[in-house]
Amino acid sequence: MDFVTSLFPWITNGPLIVVQVMSGLSVAMFLFLVSVGMSLIFGVTRIVNLAHGSFYMVGAYLMVTLVETLPEHAVSFWIALVLAPIGVGLLGGVIEVTLLRRIYHREPLLQLILTFGLILVIGTLVLLVWGPDNKSVARPDALAGSLKILGQPFPLYYLLVLGLAPVVAIGLWLTFYRTRWGMLIRAATVDREMLGALGVDVATLYTQVFMFGSWLAGLGGALSAPTVAVALGMDGDVLTTAFVVVVIGGLGSFAGSFISALLVGELQSFGILVFPAVSIVLLFAIMAVVLIVRPWGLLGRPEE
Amino acid sequence: MADADGALVLQVVGLRKHFGGVQAVNGVDLAVSEGELRAIIGPNGAGKTTLFNLISGDLPHDSGQIYFRGEQISGLMPPELCRRGLARTFQITSIFRRLTTLENVQTALLTHHRRHHDLFRPARRLYRDEAMVLLDRVGLADQAPKPSGILAHGDQRRLELALALASEPQLLMLDEPTAGMAPRERHEIMALAAGIATDARLTIVFTEHDMDVVFAVARRITVLHQGAVLAEGTPVEVRAHPEVQRVYLGHRAKPAR
Amino acid sequence: MRAARWLVAIAVLTVLPPLLPSFLVVVMTEIAIVALFATAFNLLMGFGGMVSFGHAAYFALGAYAAAILVKQAGWPMLLGLAAAPFAAAAGALVFGFFIVRLTHTYFAMLSLAFAQIVFTVIFKWKTLTGGDDGLLNVWPPAWLKSPLAYGYFTLAVTGLAILAMHAIVDSPFGYALRAIRENPRRARFIGVNVRRHQLQAFVLSGFFSGLAGGLFAFFNGSVFPDFAYLNKSFEPLVVALLGGVQSFFGPLAGAVGFKILETYIARQWPVYWPLFLGAAVVLVVVALPQGFVGLLQRRAWRTPTAR
Repeated sequence: MDFVTSLFPWITNGPLIVVQVMSGLSVAMFLFLVSVGMSLIFGVTRIVNLAHGSFYMVGAYLMVTLVETLPEHAVSFWIALVLAPIGVGLLGGVIEVTLLRRIYHREPLLQLILTFGLILVIGTLVLLVWGPDNKSVARPDALAGSLKILGQPFPLYYLLVLGLAPVVAIGLWLTFYRTRWGMLIRAATVDREMLGALGVDVATLYTQVFMFGSWLAGLGGALSAPTVAVALGMDGDVLTTAFVVVVIGGLGSFAGSFISALLVGELQSFGILVFPAVSIVLLFAIMAVVLIVRPWGLLGRPEE
Repeated sequence: MADADGALVLQVVGLRKHFGGVQAVNGVDLAVSEGELRAIIGPNGAGKTTLFNLISGDLPHDSGQIYFRGEQISGLMPPELCRRGLARTFQITSIFRRLTTLENVQTALLTHHRRHHDLFRPARRLYRDEAMVLLDRVGLADQAPKPSGILAHGDQRRLELALALASEPQLLMLDEPTAGMAPRERHEIMALAAGIATDARLTIVFTEHDMDVVFAVARRITVLHQGAVLAEGTPVEVRAHPEVQRVYLGHRAKPAR
Repeated sequence: MRAARWLVAIAVLTVLPPLLPSFLVVVMTEIAIVALFATAFNLLMGFGGMVSFGHAAYFALGAYAAAILVKQAGWPMLLGLAAAPFAAAAGALVFGFFIVRLTHTYFAMLSLAFAQIVFTVIFKWKTLTGGDDGLLNVWPPAWLKSPLAYGYFTLAVTGLAILAMHAIVDSPFGYALRAIRENPRRARFIGVNVRRHQLQAFVLSGFFSGLAGGLFAFFNGSVFPDFAYLNKSFEPLVVALLGGVQSFFGPLAGAVGFKILETYIARQWPVYWPLFLGAAVVLVVVALPQGFVGLLQRRAWRTPTAR
């Protein structure tokens, strides 16, 4: 027991654990937003969008610009939070219409290579527009401070994120399970051809899905902007972590992304306490195990 | 477990496999003796290909045992089965399209002789003569330098036969070997297979839809229906079997030749 | 005759360098290294049918192994360079074990993820790798230091390595690898343990990629984390695509073309280079009417010595 407490001195510190769990939840939230978007796009269009991390990054950078250019006002932050993801959604729409539409019928490999190339393109464009320096977004005044939870300081902003989480989750659930559009999407993940045969405009649906997925990634990026250094290289980091989440949860599974994001978020949160590199290795180890035992993820469907 | 006909090459006991709610193979018993030419027939959906896939290690079975030359082979993977002397061909021609005809067979010979971990010897000359012999045997010697993907369908199936033979099998399982061929070609290839079988003391089990071919070539026939063995015996016996006539041959009972 | 062509090429490569301006010798050296990396990559892609999006991992492992051994452990350069491919191969063995269990999309993505992990580890482990600052003053010994000397050295090493890979492709191992590429199921049924064979190919590919990395470390004089980053993983893919994945020397040709482009564009506008790379690839993908398979098939059917 002593050995354990010497390795993990915080393990008997109840309040600290609670706070770590909560911050892990907010990390999970960002991951969930990116992963569910990626998963959704794959489920419907069968394309793995490698540029999804780039969308996340663009969302964060747009937040930077919007917060800087909008007049100083309490509401500005929230307006920016609404507008930035929309910007990313529009970017996604442009990409889908001009590029992705031409390659839906091609080998998955080519599609991957294309989205891989997009990473480079978007990354350089971001560099050109915003420059190489790190940026940051100030938290809105109302959420700048921290709250004492069980005696431990906890940033108010994270509470916002935590508060938004159920809203987003329920919103997504309602969208997928209670709207006609959501039903079309779920049908498309199961059988696209049938949907087309039934007279549904599949092409437009694809565009909408891609825009929605991009919007989600942009929202994740915009939300995370006040908590991290907004920098080049965000795309790669997020992509890798999101990929781990999606692999563990299952490409194409909404619930899978949710559970898996929670798992990964908590791991990252506690990993920082132990040793930063450990969390990556642990993450990778879990992903490796999942890939061996159940390659299509906890809740995914086997690849044809 | 030999019987009067000679050693048993293949024995299947109580094999079962279901997919979802469908019982594809429902308690099949099979015993094939050395040197037999066994046809497995049955209507579509009778479970022929599933049975093949179960025996050849492509699919895990739910219950039952499979014995090859007296040894249990359940759960063994195809490479191991190949080493033990079980070879098969597929319903949809399965060859190495961008390799030449000759390279196809050479590769099969290389792997059969366990030489495929050799990194530095040029493979071009290895087993070239043996490959040509095999190709000649199946009538493809003049097609040797061509990329196998451009061969005519019938020739591709001959090549696949050569690939299977390259591993010097004791049991050759042919899944619809004549699929997609013209009638004359069908008899040719089956006569070829039968001839090779006699020369090499090879046992052949094949599935087939063309009844002419079956009755001409097979020495024993197993009839499957809905995943179970309906009848088994010599062609004469099977043709006369009332159940078989009812289920498979339909209302047009063919006149005996 | 083919042999004559090779002799001429070797003769040219032996005699030419001293006649070239120093700058071109440097470019030539870089071409050799890129060609080595791309050929190693293509061993997996063109001949094995496995496309890796994270091959920079092995390049970086080789480069850093060489640099660390020389700088932190005081090894002589030649030994450090010799160790590079083995370090990379070890990484390929560990990563490859997981990666080859997957196909296509998942294969590519997992390989990308592993490369990112290598990048992050390099980035964070400052005490060993120098982190963001990298490791500097990683130079070859005096007798190899001049561009001409190192150029000859690189040509010799890459020449031998490419020769070795050529032998591998034409060996029984290579035949079986191509068979797996064509038809994994059929390969199993002629007795090949597909996963094991693919892992072996993966390790070999990693080995030679690491050698390229090691050579580059001493060429560059320094190593940085972005040796393991996405851009670097993209490079062999583009080079191989450019030169043709179905022929063994395609990547070599691609390397020449690629370097010429890079010299022109990257030196003038270094910031725009990834943009150009990415955009070029995007355009190529969108414009290729039949994609890979069509491109590969057309070439295969046309040439009598189709591989």
